[in-house]
Amino acid sequence: MRLLLIACALLAGCATPPPPKPAAAPSLREISSALSVGSSTKSEVRAALGEGTVVNFDSGYEVWVYRQPSEELVLLFEPSGILSKTRVR
Amino acid sequence: MPDLTQTSARLGVLAIALLAGDAGLAEDARSGSDDAVVVSAMRNPVRKSYKKMIDGAALFEQRRSELAPAAALRFKLIPRKPDTSMKGVELKVEADSIAIPLRVAPDQTFTIERNRTALRENADVMPNRREGTMTWRADVRTPGLPPHTRRLGDLRLECEVGMKAGLISNYPRGFWGWLDELIALKPEYCKRAAPRYLFFADHPIFSVTLVHGERREVLPVDMLYAGATRDPEWKKDKYCDCEALFDHAYFVPLGDASWPDDTRVELEYMGPNS
Repeated sequence: MRLLLIACALLAGCATPPPPKPAAAPSLREISSALSVGSSTKSEVRAALGEGTVVNFDSGYEVWVYRQPSEELVLLFEPSGILSKTRVR
Repeated sequence: MPDLTQTSARLGVLAIALLAGDAGLAEDARSGSDDAVVVSAMRNPVRKSYKKMIDGAALFEQRRSELAPAAALRFKLIPRKPDTSMKGVELKVEADSIAIPLRVAPDQTFTIERNRTALRENADVMPNRREGTMTWRADVRTPGLPPHTRRLGDLRLECEVGMKAGLISNYPRGFWGWLDELIALKPEYCKRAAPRYLFFADHPIFSVTLVHGERREVLPVDMLYAGATRDPEWKKDKYCDCEALFDHAYFVPLGDASWPDDTRVELEYMGPNS
């Protein structure tokens, strides 16, 4: 009987609930839905997402790219600096 | 009796134009009042092998029934430098004993005919522009496609003809990877899953999507802009013939057999698609 009680106590010790998992990082698709085509600016996007990979063209347009292991977010900025298109792959 | 002063002036203009080897100056001399001094020589013009282009056209005929049965072949001149003017481009097939002018359409495309003398004399195809200012592509188009759409079979054939015709040049060594010397200049290169053969859209592109039936797939951004999103030094690359049209350039997975030739390649431009 004593052994049974010890075994139960040991098993109960193993059943201690794990610490809560940190909240999953938002996906690029979720992030992109918070951006506003036609009004979001570069500085707003930078504040929200950090630095992406930037490709700037002689026309003044810029493409910003953010990557996660299974997703890719591409943003297009007009020469005025306003977000004009987005796509998630 | 000719006016000696006027004659000296004409000779002076001609000499300067020849020394400068500058088409613009030659053009000025050509248009100057009634002098009628025509200078067509140009130092280091753009040139391509006529024979190779004819070989490319022959390959088109050979492969058309499989890849693009309804398509027609043209060749296209494309600016390579940002300041290259495409206005008034003149083109000719030139060899020792012949010079055949070719008609260049407003969209900078042209066709080429077989000519025995030009082949025998190993003629060049030459526009009136300096070397390094223009590049070339095959242009294979199936009629009746929706706007802003290409057909994958057409692009496959463009690549094969372009490689056969030797239209791709001046890529930096290493651009094609370790296969540079072996297959870079052969049409078989186009059958690789993702060959780095650049296509140019009519306008700067934002997105390229492959569509066949219910299947849709947006190409990764790495396949746009000559792969610039993976190469921070891309702007310093003066060898790629996409120098003036980085924002128009894209690759497609030509050798991916899971996409049939009838696959539509939909282009979304940076500006409005209109």
